[in-house]
Amino acid sequence: MSFSHFGALTTFALLVAVVFAIITKNEPREQFRYGVFVFFSFLAAAILVGWIMYPLPL
Amino acid sequence: MLKDDSPNAGFESAQSFTTGADRSVVLKPKSHVMTAAACVGGLLVPGLGHLLLGRWVRGALLLVSVVLMFVLGLTMHGALSTPPGSDELVSFKTLNAFANVGAGLPYVIALKTGRGEGIPTAQTADYGWLFLVVAGLLNYLIVFDAFDIARGRKP
Repeated sequence: MSFSHFGALTTFALLVAVVFAIITKNEPREQFRYGVFVFFSFLAAAILVGWIMYPLPL
Repeated sequence: MLKDDSPNAGFESAQSFTTGADRSVVLKPKSHVMTAAACVGGLLVPGLGHLLLGRWVRGALLLVSVVLMFVLGLTMHGALSTPPGSDELVSFKTLNAFANVGAGLPYVIALKTGRGEGIPTAQTADYGWLFLVVAGLLNYLIVFDAFDIARGRKP
């Protein structure tokens, strides 16, 4: 099985978001909202950091 | 310090929580045996602590999430660390092993079946390592959550 960087990041964000949502919130609705927030925060942070590093030489 | 601010608050008395739609639930702490069983079970199998406490959906989701993360880590050729021997110094590898051990039985099974070697030259080896480490660390948090539920601090 091969993963792209983005695929691995998305999978990681999804699984961590599920766990964080369950252990930090009590109500299903709150858990869902917080899980979605964590998931997209991970993606947004990764994309932001990626663009910040873009001008840097390899 | 108020009694309710104490780290041990809620250990022996029932706690009242307001949940969605203004429903109020009163939670009583489980017995010490049940608390210990939930914590040890949760350390051995991710999510088992919640399942033992009757939190079926939460337990199932946590089990799937952590085990899937661990399996994906192995699939991506991440390497597992073993605890240092008595003649080895504490190092970064020790912290790595502490994180890996948190996954519980999946960690033991992976080591016994020789799947924890990893392939350092694989393109996804770093991701795999990260998945394995985070799976273990998340399980420690899950055990703390099971403890809080068992002591009646959380619905």
